[in-house]
Amino acid sequence: MNKPLDAGNLSERGTGFDRWRREYAASARDGKSVRNRSGIEVRPLYTAQDWSGDHEAELGYPGQPPYTRGIYASMHRGRTWTQRQLIGLGTPLDYNARLRDLLARGTTAVSLIPCNSVFRGYDMDEVHAELLGTCGVVANTAEHMDQCLEGVDLARTSCAMNDPSPFTLLAFLLATAKKRGVDWRAVSGTSNQSDYLSHFIANHMFFRIALPGARRILTDHIEFCNRHVPNWNPMSVVGQHMQQAGATPAEAMAFTLSSAIQYAEDCRARGMQPDAFLPRFTFFFDISVSLFEEIAKFRAGRRVWARITRERFGARDPRSWRFKFHGQTSGVDLTRQQPLNNIARVTVQAMAGIFGGLQSLHTDAYDEVLSCPTEFGARIAVSTQNILREEAHLTDVIDPLGGSYYLESLTDEMERKILGIMAQVEAAGGMYAAAEQGLVQKMIGASARGFQWKIESGEQTVVGVNAYQIDEGKSERQALPTPDPAKMQAHIAAFKAYKEARSKSAVQMAQDGLAAAANDPKENIFARVVEAAEAGCTHGEICATLRRELGFGQPLVVI
Amino acid sequence: MNAGPAANALAAILAGERRALARAMSAVENETDAGKALLHQVQPHLGRARVLGITGPPGAGKSTLVNALIGEWLARGARIGVVAVDPSSPFSGGAILGDRIRMGEHQAHERVFIRSLASRGHGGGLSRTTARVIDLFDAAGYDHIIVETVGAGQSEVAVAEVADTRIVVCPPGLGDEVQALKAGILEIADILVVNKADLPLADRTERELLGMLSLHHYDVWTPQVLRTVATSGGGVPELADLIERHAAACVSQRLSHGGRVRRLIAASAADWVKRRIESLDSAEFEQLCALVRSGELDYASADLRAVELALHDGNKA
Amino acid sequence: MTTQPPKVLVTKIGLDGHDRGSRVVASHLRDAGMEVVYTPPWQDIPAVVKLALEEDVDVIGISSLATDHLIVPKLMRALGAAGLRDIAVIVGGIVPDADEAMLLEAGVARVFHPGSALEEIAAEIGRLTRARREANV
Repeated sequence: MNKPLDAGNLSERGTGFDRWRREYAASARDGKSVRNRSGIEVRPLYTAQDWSGDHEAELGYPGQPPYTRGIYASMHRGRTWTQRQLIGLGTPLDYNARLRDLLARGTTAVSLIPCNSVFRGYDMDEVHAELLGTCGVVANTAEHMDQCLEGVDLARTSCAMNDPSPFTLLAFLLATAKKRGVDWRAVSGTSNQSDYLSHFIANHMFFRIALPGARRILTDHIEFCNRHVPNWNPMSVVGQHMQQAGATPAEAMAFTLSSAIQYAEDCRARGMQPDAFLPRFTFFFDISVSLFEEIAKFRAGRRVWARITRERFGARDPRSWRFKFHGQTSGVDLTRQQPLNNIARVTVQAMAGIFGGLQSLHTDAYDEVLSCPTEFGARIAVSTQNILREEAHLTDVIDPLGGSYYLESLTDEMERKILGIMAQVEAAGGMYAAAEQGLVQKMIGASARGFQWKIESGEQTVVGVNAYQIDEGKSERQALPTPDPAKMQAHIAAFKAYKEARSKSAVQMAQDGLAAAANDPKENIFARVVEAAEAGCTHGEICATLRRELGFGQPLVVI
Repeated sequence: MNAGPAANALAAILAGERRALARAMSAVENETDAGKALLHQVQPHLGRARVLGITGPPGAGKSTLVNALIGEWLARGARIGVVAVDPSSPFSGGAILGDRIRMGEHQAHERVFIRSLASRGHGGGLSRTTARVIDLFDAAGYDHIIVETVGAGQSEVAVAEVADTRIVVCPPGLGDEVQALKAGILEIADILVVNKADLPLADRTERELLGMLSLHHYDVWTPQVLRTVATSGGGVPELADLIERHAAACVSQRLSHGGRVRRLIAASAADWVKRRIESLDSAEFEQLCALVRSGELDYASADLRAVELALHDGNKA
Repeated sequence: MTTQPPKVLVTKIGLDGHDRGSRVVASHLRDAGMEVVYTPPWQDIPAVVKLALEEDVDVIGISSLATDHLIVPKLMRALGAAGLRDIAVIVGGIVPDADEAMLLEAGVARVFHPGSALEEIAAEIGRLTRARREANV
């Protein structure tokens, strides 16, 4: 029987460790230090000497502060993570057909991605027709939302929507609910990616209202939902965009937490109580293929957020302390070369998210890099999750890597790095100020260039790209699925007819009310957006009014 | 030298052809023979435009203000040229020219023409040819020409040389940048704008600036302090009016342009002399330097001698 | 005469917003001594044409993800109509092989797929710039 490795056996342990070190040095290829993406050195072996933390204080138990091991007592064993595969394509009818199919196969939650034109703040008749509906559904009115969600019980189904500021999709949803006689208090879901700073800094997908205006609209949105749609999560703080733009995992977590602090401060300044809005803050992260680093990132993030909510914001409700997050496997790690390899990458990324304790997971299709995934690819992505859960049994044990010398040591180091970066943001005046000054963009750009250099120099292998290449020829890849042009033309024609037929006076009145609200700090802009949606205004009209009143903005270019 | 192509280019520019203007700017920026010939041809056609230099520390909301001002001028029917200068990398000589994007939707307006320049190692945040590019805008009939630079510190001085009306934008507050601003700006600012005037510290900043101005004596024009809220457009029409009044106060357009020309000749002549002296490769110059090192000759005398050498050297070329 | 580095526009038309690739390329071109006019995503075609004219750029680099490359032929036509046919256009990003031929036929000088070496992109821009300068003399 082996003697336990504790201090009592120091002399014996000393001998064993020293011997290992000698043998390792003799057999290792070179003495080069290895660093992970966040810049933390990774050693060849971790022992009890590397982590002697206070188990109770630093790890605790699932469902208890500091939540390092998970935010709920039973985690995935009690209830598996939500398989929330994003969908969006074509016309509302196309979307509804795909949605009903998924619901029939057992999906219990709805997710909706609008067309990129919607992100841009335009209606379908304001953009190049060939770009419509390729990556999301073309929904511009409350009627369209009604069509998208035909047959869906809004009182019982959670709806997550990628909903660009000023959150017109939620407005359309609320209008639809009212029409169907569903009480808004029963409506549940999330305004995905409502984080305007992450778009200003990295994704640029809906920052086109000047920053101060975007800031006000978000706070109005949170306040409105707080009061009228209490089961809705209006705040989705996004780490994915920044990590995809090149932020290291530690930076992505640090900037995300800093953003969350900024939004919480803005809510508090508005007079809202932390325990009223913090429970409805959710997070959204990228999961890279750097397995252990990602797991440590999430565990550290949970621990830091638990402390911030309690100490900085004085939150007393445990629901405020829980770091709820959705993870998406990172498309940036995927390659166009030998795309089937992406299935292996997505598997590792998904495992990192699962071990990291996420609440919902989206796995990319292997052909995601080629634009919107095919049904074939999407099915494999879902199967991956099913295999991990039911064949590899990853849900059987909560935080199975907890207590690992490496993982606990790495979690601590990630936490230190994260706190250091957060301090830099704090010194700049908070996340809003740091983004306005371009500080965050500068740091992300440096990390992106650093990583690119590692790939170009060969230091970081990317299979199929800078190593293990094969000659693939050109003809094998399928053509991209694009919406049927005839259907899209019909959709546009119907839309134009709709605009002719609706009450112009009601639309004008709603637009005027919206413009007035934009100029009156005492009014709630989002409340007027909802009214405008109910009056039949289109997404583009609502966005145009707000852009005009609040100013047009461009993301800050820092290279 | 064949004046034909230069005359053709000039005619195209005077006729308002945008491509010709852009191509001419490239020639001027790259100091080609054709560019130099064109600049000579252009000289009699200058003096109508008013050049506006806008500087200020980061956070003052300069870009938003410029945008708002362009909007105001467009509404008044003006044609506006913008020269946006970004710094060149001291290592590679390359540059990211990202400043023009801050002009937002005005970029697309047919009466707005924006040209980005890299500083190409020139100190003070502007490039050596910035003033020449401005001249082309002038010849092409643009009413207002804005010179914008992202640089801080020395850029106030450099911009002051090329501009008729110098505006310094101050953020409200008592931070270090505002203090540093006050130290040197009064020599060069014609209009001081306190932007973000809806913020609480704006009153105080305005009072402080007025206080500092009251300590000085001015002849033709006393620097004015104006409050704006660029994001809402507040104070912007007043700013446009004030710029008009400043232009009128400089007696006449010709004199304003003359003042600028005088400053520009001084600056470019000094630059020419500096480059010549630095590249002197003669035994006489070496001897001059040795005399200064040993203390036998003082700098004032050495300066004069060096200029003579440079002129003499220049004549050889 | 001062050195005349290539002047390159790096931009995105269409509806996609991801610009990590274009930022990395712009940064590399700057480090290679070029003057890069950089814009954020979502530029519309008339704005790009106006910019290319005013800035007198040598090459336009379009970063394209999703299906944005589908409107590049419209850009090529607009450049032609504005008399800017001498400015070369390259496209980088996600372009299905089937569409690459279509772009080249529309006048695009070269398509760069993910994994292309930055050095090669810079070298191509250098070649295209030299060709333009020689033709314009």
